[in-house]
Amino acid sequence: MNFIRKPFGYEPVLTKEDVKNSVQKKKGPRPNNWKNTLLRIWKIVDEQRALLIAVLLLVVLSSVMSLLGPYLIGHMIDEYVMKEKFSGMPLLIVGLIIIYFVLALSLFFQNYWMIGIAQQTIYRMRTGLFHHLLHLPIAFFDKRQHGELMSRATNDMETVSATLNSSFIQVFSSILTLTGTFIVMLSLSPLLTLLTMIIIPAMFIATRWITRRTGKLFKEQQAALGALNGMIEETISGQQVVKAFSQEERVKKEFCEKNSRLRRTGFWALTYSGYIPKVMNFLNNISFAIIAGIGGLLAFKGHVTIGTIVVFTEYARQFTRPLNDLANQMNTVLSAIAGAERVFSIMDETVEKDGGEVDERHKLLGDVEFRHVSFKYELAEQAHTLKDVSFHVKPGQTAALVGATGAGKTTIMQLIARFYDVEQGTILFDGIDVQKLKRETLRSQMAFVLQDSFLFEASIYENIRYGRLDATNEEIEEAAKKANAHDFIVKLPNGYNTILTSDGSEISQGQKQLLSIARAFVADPVILLLDEATSSIDTVTEVKIQQALDVLMEGRTSFVIAHRLNTVRNADIVFVMQEGQMVEAGTQQELMETNGIYANMLKQAGIL
Amino acid sequence: MKTVFSYVKPYKWPAMIAFCLMLIELSVELIQPLIIAKIIDRGIIAQDLGTIGYWGFILIMFAIAAFLSGIINSYFASHTAQSFGFDLRNALFSKIQSFTMATYLRFPTSVLITRLTSDVQQVQSVLFMSLRIMLRAPLAAVGSLIMAFVVNPKMALFLLIGTPLLMIFLYIIVKKGVHFFGEVQRRLDRVNRVLQENLQGIRLVKAYMRGNYESSRFQDVSNHLKIDTIKALRMMELIQPVLLFVMNVSLLAALWFGSIDVRNGSAQVGELVAVVNYALRMTGSFSMFAFIINAVSRAKASSERMEEILLIESGIEEYKDVNSLSPDIQHSESLRFEHVSFQYPNTKKSILKDVSFTVSPGETIAIMGATGAGKSTLLNLILRFYEPTSGEIYINGQQISKWPLEKLRSIIGYVPQQSMLFTGSIYENVSWGKQGAKMEEVRAATTQAQIHQTVENFPEQYKTRVGQKGVNLSGGQKQRLSIARALIRKSEILLLDDSTSALDVKTETAFWEALKRERATMLVVTQKIRTAKEADKILLLDEGQVIAYGTHEQLYETSEVYKLIVLSQQEREVDA
Repeated sequence: MNFIRKPFGYEPVLTKEDVKNSVQKKKGPRPNNWKNTLLRIWKIVDEQRALLIAVLLLVVLSSVMSLLGPYLIGHMIDEYVMKEKFSGMPLLIVGLIIIYFVLALSLFFQNYWMIGIAQQTIYRMRTGLFHHLLHLPIAFFDKRQHGELMSRATNDMETVSATLNSSFIQVFSSILTLTGTFIVMLSLSPLLTLLTMIIIPAMFIATRWITRRTGKLFKEQQAALGALNGMIEETISGQQVVKAFSQEERVKKEFCEKNSRLRRTGFWALTYSGYIPKVMNFLNNISFAIIAGIGGLLAFKGHVTIGTIVVFTEYARQFTRPLNDLANQMNTVLSAIAGAERVFSIMDETVEKDGGEVDERHKLLGDVEFRHVSFKYELAEQAHTLKDVSFHVKPGQTAALVGATGAGKTTIMQLIARFYDVEQGTILFDGIDVQKLKRETLRSQMAFVLQDSFLFEASIYENIRYGRLDATNEEIEEAAKKANAHDFIVKLPNGYNTILTSDGSEISQGQKQLLSIARAFVADPVILLLDEATSSIDTVTEVKIQQALDVLMEGRTSFVIAHRLNTVRNADIVFVMQEGQMVEAGTQQELMETNGIYANMLKQAGIL
Repeated sequence: MKTVFSYVKPYKWPAMIAFCLMLIELSVELIQPLIIAKIIDRGIIAQDLGTIGYWGFILIMFAIAAFLSGIINSYFASHTAQSFGFDLRNALFSKIQSFTMATYLRFPTSVLITRLTSDVQQVQSVLFMSLRIMLRAPLAAVGSLIMAFVVNPKMALFLLIGTPLLMIFLYIIVKKGVHFFGEVQRRLDRVNRVLQENLQGIRLVKAYMRGNYESSRFQDVSNHLKIDTIKALRMMELIQPVLLFVMNVSLLAALWFGSIDVRNGSAQVGELVAVVNYALRMTGSFSMFAFIINAVSRAKASSERMEEILLIESGIEEYKDVNSLSPDIQHSESLRFEHVSFQYPNTKKSILKDVSFTVSPGETIAIMGATGAGKSTLLNLILRFYEPTSGEIYINGQQISKWPLEKLRSIIGYVPQQSMLFTGSIYENVSWGKQGAKMEEVRAATTQAQIHQTVENFPEQYKTRVGQKGVNLSGGQKQRLSIARALIRKSEILLLDDSTSALDVKTETAFWEALKRERATMLVVTQKIRTAKEADKILLLDEGQVIAYGTHEQLYETSEVYKLIVLSQQEREVDA
């Protein structure tokens, strides 16, 4: 008994409730979900309708040819070989060779085109997913592991790919054979046809019983695979820490746990889906016995001829075979649906809202205003990161953000960049509500040096050019010189053409920051955001860059988070942040006069 | 494929059982037509209801037997396949965990991910199929061929005329297929790569509005994946039509020459009909054949990729026995570099050149130098992430290459330049440094790292979830958690790689104050003179060379470079 409940020690994945729920929801959302998912895939497939029709016609052609071949051979044996008539045979054989050639060609081309259609569909889905992903709000990414998201574009898409490659043709040709056989059977004996149909409800029930389980199991399996992918990506990206703390055994254990979840769901999914062909075979045999038994009875009574029964049993077998194939395809299709659903669920996430009321070519002046802005990160259960923050920075001014770590300085930067939307209050650019501006308008006129500098796997040229795609190589080198990056770049084996890898170690953290600064130089923005732009750079270099940065900031609205007093002292306005609130704000002069926190700070530093 | 398939071995019994059950099922399927013939001949045609009932009953019994073996086969086959995949993934992951950091440079994360998931999946599904249906097609074909030979060897021989040609054809296709499918998997690596990069750099992509640019980059890699997949699949699609055509023409040949024999009287018409029927049955299994060859080629390509990892022999960290450490550990010196030079594998530039210095127990050394001078690399060598190109490093008087790796790293607390937190709670992240650490220990470490108060203020305190790489924490908070993670280990040696850069002056001062109580030997990479002054000695690096080593006062006197650094920091910093 225990083996049936927990074979090989595999704990059941589905509870009775799971299965029951899926029964109760029969008319509810679940089947609809399947239908929707299939419809969405179909819409993409349908974009290549002409090719698709060609494939379907070829399937018809190959079906006809594969019937014609054996028929003609039978004819040849009956009419020529049996009757020892050889004169017409060579002609017939030539005819047959042509038929077989056409069959081979039509088989090849239907698959040839179908593979094209399937892979084009996959390509469209995959790039669609990626495109959508890039338009999701930052908050979406805060909640998810990279590897888990990656799994959707690779592993989940693979299940769809495998199904589209083969199932479409198989389903269609099965339906074709099914209809054909059904018509022939009906013309032979409606009564016996009815008998054959008896098992169809049983097949239907059995298929439902199984798919009700496999549908959910496949989804579980893909989810487990996604979780495993997430863990692998995170662990290997952080391998340095794993090694430094000798936690290899621990991550192996964690991997093993996630891995066994995948094994368990995979086991049940495979086992249940393996039922289908067996059940179908069994029902076929029963159906055969019924036809033979009842048919025999009917023959005694003279309702049907014996010849009909004999022929009929053969057709009954032919009838159930495609049915069997169809039921098998159900499983493949279900696993594809499980994968596709996970892909579509991302594509159904709402993208960042984008204002469109203001012309996208709107030139920013650089006037930035916060009005009673409050904000809280979705993931952090902590209290508000920003509480009722208001300030106004005029075009060309430099504003320095000052305060302890976690006071909300970076958050203000993130809100200016519109990575997040405010919870309360308004942010205005040139007096226009940020909600009315397109992100493109906004960000294309900003440049950033973020706390974590990130480089792409590309040449140094490309990485700096990221700031402005039409920058020439000369402009890039110019920017690199200003950022003090030129010297180390030319010492690299391939200079500016050196390909960087984002997890490689060709260049140091500080050098990465220099490149980020060069990127901002290239961008030529109206608004400049510098978040600890020089934190990993040695102070000698920093002084040099600072002069260039000062030039850059001239005439541009700049927001600066920095340790260097010089930078802060040069700012037109200083904002002092404390636990999410702006406790002091004003020009250097004003703050000195108030004699508050900032003035104190300077006193402590020995400036005043 | 050999190495990969050795992972089936532990499951040879379930596999055998699944295999036997498949044979039972197959044999029942072969017997069925005979029973059906009996029902028709003796029952229906002879109008004998009793016989129909009798054979009908037997048919149903056989059907039940086949059904049961089929169902049970499901369990055994799926157990074998899943466990095989499970073990293979574990083995791959373990192997990857034993890589040296240099080996990771050869295999980027994205490549390893594909191998651990997609590649395993390919092989696993082939194993499952082979235990379920794979034998059916070859058996049916071979069975029919044998029957044809039994009936009339001469005619049957004609069925084989195309075989040599087919063999060559299949050999070429499989060889090319393995190559093409390998290419497909490599394309998948690239897709993974671009995906990972964009997820990691999502803020940058958004900040510079590079959505369309990145989309087109992704379209490019997806397109290559598409093209190569199509190429591989289309080539494999050649198999079925070619097999069918050759077989059908052979059949016609058999028919033609067979009919000549019939005319000569050397063969019976019945024999000819039978041979033709068997030939037709053979062709029926060809689509399955094509499918199998396709799957096997794909599995072979994936196996080769996995074996590339499983069979790596160099670039693996050695785990020596703890006892290999000689007992004469000196405690007069904590750390010593002797003429250490280093360059990253496959690069020409030396990052460290002839570095020598000694650190006494309990000393604090500040490491300073320009960006790219080799500061982080120096710390990496102490942890033995990389091996020096020449020279030796000693810890407690013992060459670090002689230390068992785990022992060596267990006495070191390391705070990397980038905080690198993991998905999980704050407690989990801090106790990462010491498994199963008590709450008091965690609190002590976080207090020392000046983050305890902040954590206490979170509504969920130490249970607060940290997103991947600590996305929901501020830069300073991440750094302090990363410091706490190292402090909890109470290590002999602490390595801090510029890990207080995001802290405000007040917090930082308090932190260094709290750290003074530590008795550990400390190596602190820093940009700040203020921090360096507090250290016992300062190690000044320039382009990989030690240009000064001594106290603040000594260096201020003797080193121009150091003076320059001090000058650059004349005006102090604020709580910014």
